Amino acid sequence: MEKIIEIKNVYKTFTENGKELVAIDHVDLEIPRNQFTVLIGPSGCGKTTLLNMIAGFEKPTSGEILLKNKPVQQPGPDRGYVFQDYALFPWQTVIGNVAFGLRHNGFSKEEAEKKAWEYIDLVNLRGFEDAYPHILSGGMKQRVAIARALAYDPDVLLMDEPFGALDAQTRKHMQKELVNIIQKAKKTVVFVTHSVIEAVYLADLVVVMTARPGKVKGTIKINLPRNRSYVENDYLHYREQILDILEEEVEKGFV
Amino acid sequence: MKGYINLQSLPAPSTLVDKFWQLAVINGSLWKHFFNSLYRLIIGYTLAAVIGTLTGALLAQNETLKTIFEPTFNILMSVPTIAWIPIFLITLGLGDKTVITAIFLSSYFSIMYNTMRGIEMVDKSIVRAARMMGLNRLELFFNVLLPASLVSIINGFRLAIGYAWRALVGGELLAALIVWGLGKMVYQARYFNDAAVMLVGLLVIGFTGFCLDQIFLITIEKNTVEKWGMSQKK
Repeated sequence: MEKIIEIKNVYKTFTENGKELVAIDHVDLEIPRNQFTVLIGPSGCGKTTLLNMIAGFEKPTSGEILLKNKPVQQPGPDRGYVFQDYALFPWQTVIGNVAFGLRHNGFSKEEAEKKAWEYIDLVNLRGFEDAYPHILSGGMKQRVAIARALAYDPDVLLMDEPFGALDAQTRKHMQKELVNIIQKAKKTVVFVTHSVIEAVYLADLVVVMTARPGKVKGTIKINLPRNRSYVENDYLHYREQILDILEEEVEKGFV
Repeated sequence: MKGYINLQSLPAPSTLVDKFWQLAVINGSLWKHFFNSLYRLIIGYTLAAVIGTLTGALLAQNETLKTIFEPTFNILMSVPTIAWIPIFLITLGLGDKTVITAIFLSSYFSIMYNTMRGIEMVDKSIVRAARMMGLNRLELFFNVLLPASLVSIINGFRLAIGYAWRALVGGELLAALIVWGLGKMVYQARYFNDAAVMLVGLLVIGFTGFCLDQIFLITIEKNTVEKWGMSQKK
């Protein structure tokens, strides 16, 4: 499998109240191109920190991250990011939000809006293009955020627990829609979650991380066809496998 | 309590109406006072709005500048504008320059501080989302930080209108070369013991402040932060 991101010997510490905490402890990882990779681990394991380093929001203390063989220095439009709290621009309409990245990457207003329309259709929000985000539901906001992050055609889509703030019904629905969207858009996705149900439903590759300090405990390839069922035997088998690995780690976290 | 207030000095409401009619319609001097004051207010206030927003934004984004200047600003801010006026009088003269500078100074700090705090409080994720799209610093400021902190900036503008009026009235009554202005009108009425003129002046000042807020700021708010759901009116 061709790799698009290489995480090489990455080590990350934070200083909190004068004490040094190790967040990520020498992680080596390759993210395959055009695959759906899910980072999962107990809370506080540093999975979001790892994602934020790929994004360029944070810098590794040592080691490096390569995106298409070039070291990541700062955020840039070769990546798209979807936040748990949506982070939409409240002063822009739905179409304004989706077109925002295009407008700042050399597209004229007409071109940007034309392109934005494609993505509004992709996430099923036609009819809401002129609405301001504050009137939308959580699920709709997150669909705008996904369209906004995909519209300027980044190589990689980074998602930080994007469905964490949604209710269970909406969450399930969004998982299904995301699979459809990604199949159409053909993107590399790196997705952070602490839900095993979500991980096995979405992933081609699950990366299980240890409790703090975060290390890679194991990677599991999910060989299931798309449009997966949440109750079928193979699906449950993968879930159990991941849950077993995680359980050790969660227990460790409480010692 | 009897005799505590000298009620004979205060005009009856009918006298007030009559005085207003005289000043506004019959001899029209009220408008000359009014427009002279408004002119000073607009210049001083606009300067404060532009410079205050820009310096506030600069301090919010530059840790070094903030460390250097914030204590200085804190000291300057605690000095009432009226205390500066004697210094302006001997350095800038007894006319418009002193009054306009006083207006600028009194409104500058609330605009600068509210802009600075507003920008500092912008949701980190929103800034990150924009940086991911590759916005440079200038684009980030005008297209993200400014609209995202507009609620706070407008609040600064609102407080500043009040401060600007205070400085205006204070400045006009101390600047000897100024003849026309609402502050001057009120102050001069003292020589003639004419409480009706004073009260007409006060009412016009208060009402103008109210109108500026309604016409200028409320309109901006309705078309921006309220429409965007950033500040809900219950």
